[in-house]
Amino acid sequence: MGCNCATTERNIYMPRECLITKTRQLTRTEKQFTLQLKDGSHFTYQPGQILEVSVPGYGEIPIGVASSPTRTDSFDIVVRTVGRVSTAVNARNEGETLWIRGPLGNGFDLNKLRHQRVLIIAGGLGLCPTRSLIQYILDKRQEFRDFKLFFGSRSPAEQLFTDDLAAWRRSPAVDYQETVDRADANWAGNVGVITTLIDRNEIPRDTRVIICGPPIMYRFVMLRLDAIGIPHENIFVDLERRMKCGVGKCGHCQINNLYVCCDGPVFSYDQVENLEEAFS
Amino acid sequence: MKTYFLPQHELPSFVSTLLQTTRVIGPVAKKHKFVFARLASADELRLDYDVTILPPKKAIFPQTQPLLKFSPEGYEDVGTPQPQILFGVHFYDVKALDMLDEFFTDGHADRRYLDNREATTIVASSIQHINERAFFASVGADVKPRGHDAFLTAIEGGYVYEILTDKGEALIKHGSFRAATGDEVSSAYAANAEALDKCPQHIYHSTREIGRRVRAAFGRDEVWDELAEKCFSCGTCNTTCPTCYCFDVQDKWNLDQASGVRERTWDGCLLDDFARVSLGEGATDNFREKAAQRFRHRVMRKTSYLNEKLGGPACVGCGRCAIGCVPDIADPVRIINRIMEG
Repeated sequence: MGCNCATTERNIYMPRECLITKTRQLTRTEKQFTLQLKDGSHFTYQPGQILEVSVPGYGEIPIGVASSPTRTDSFDIVVRTVGRVSTAVNARNEGETLWIRGPLGNGFDLNKLRHQRVLIIAGGLGLCPTRSLIQYILDKRQEFRDFKLFFGSRSPAEQLFTDDLAAWRRSPAVDYQETVDRADANWAGNVGVITTLIDRNEIPRDTRVIICGPPIMYRFVMLRLDAIGIPHENIFVDLERRMKCGVGKCGHCQINNLYVCCDGPVFSYDQVENLEEAFS
Repeated sequence: MKTYFLPQHELPSFVSTLLQTTRVIGPVAKKHKFVFARLASADELRLDYDVTILPPKKAIFPQTQPLLKFSPEGYEDVGTPQPQILFGVHFYDVKALDMLDEFFTDGHADRRYLDNREATTIVASSIQHINERAFFASVGADVKPRGHDAFLTAIEGGYVYEILTDKGEALIKHGSFRAATGDEVSSAYAANAEALDKCPQHIYHSTREIGRRVRAAFGRDEVWDELAEKCFSCGTCNTTCPTCYCFDVQDKWNLDQASGVRERTWDGCLLDDFARVSLGEGATDNFREKAAQRFRHRVMRKTSYLNEKLGGPACVGCGRCAIGCVPDIADPVRIINRIMEG
């Protein structure tokens, strides 16, 4: 598989500056940034591609783009405060800047999804990179058949993009279903792990399924999808790894012989199912 | 291209002349071992070395290398390198540099590596002494070294200097070279063939067969647990390997606390945090949690994963990992032969 990374610069490690046009604290630890390239150029990418996001003096982290290229004036990322770099990124605010390299890697193969039934299964932060595809499908709805979206969170307080969720609950364009592992006093919806949503739906075998979530989620979701009999080449997983370079050099993101940064981060399940290191 | 002869006693003055204008990196003694180091004078050069502690890749892909400079205003490029001569590189290390050239060119050309590479003239040299752990004659034997500019072979009375590129030819004006005779060229050929004949350690199967069988052994946990039982996860096998090129990237502040450099540092897949990710709230996941998994990853990289890209294994038989490994479990000869036994 070729690499679609847009690195024409002489120095592949040189980031580009972005203006933060909007921020929003999504949860206690997750912050959304809306960005525009500061040189005024248009940022071209595919849903599912990744960026190396940086603050000078703190370093870079790999982050999936959380918005669709169909929304052309800007793009979104979401960063969870975890370590030194993400803390520095999340200290930035509207009017300040962040730096990006990318887009990097291979995103969702839209040719394999167009004119098909699509089911997206997202757990926790997995909603961020898949939001690039969700928005894309909603913006080009006529190019796709049935569209289901299942989203699982640990708790209602950890739900991301609550405005989007509210819109999707009402939207006739997407069959949106959600669950939380642990409810709180105000939660009237589904409680249970995300596989319970699969169990209560009729999923046709010709559905194209996209999975993105914590490593543990894949195994249990795959058991259900195998029971339905969905061919593995029609299942797409969006994987995360430690990455330093994002351009197939530094070695950190290797799964056996594959580089997540260049060969992925989106793989069809049959590409990775026999690789022991894919799902931990 | 042409082949020249340099009398034994003319070597010091040749190297001294090179040193007057150019940084020259070559093998020098360090106590009872050898290292590649910048030569201060020609008499430090030890072309009779067996193997160096670290491979000469460090002259092109240094242990730490700035990728960018940063300041409050953003990032800027670091400067371009000065020309240098890497002198006295054994053929197996040339093969390893050929592999690094491929890795750093493939997909996204890494100018931080390639600028250094292009600024370097490589003078390979014949192997005069052979380390007891070397197996360079039997690993990837059909892969020939390509990236050197000239090849210096010690024979009776001096050196045969074979020119391979214009960069290699450009050096001869600095020494008292004359055209080599047919006998001298034959002697050089024989000397290099003898080094292969005397190579002490052997693997006994083809690259293709090893790649296939090692890859097929991936799921045999008992084999990997056995092989890696004494592994400290110290990463010495990575650090001493001429074909390892994984790296970490960190930002380092200058004393002004405003500017600094983003630099890469050699990293190693044997180190236990190499594939660890943070999940937040202090939780982590490690995609190669066990030492045996990391040990296996290295073996797969050297014998299998990269073969298609390289046209051979990502191992050149230098023996450095075998020499450096404290519990002596990293030797590819023993690992490969163990797996090939079944």
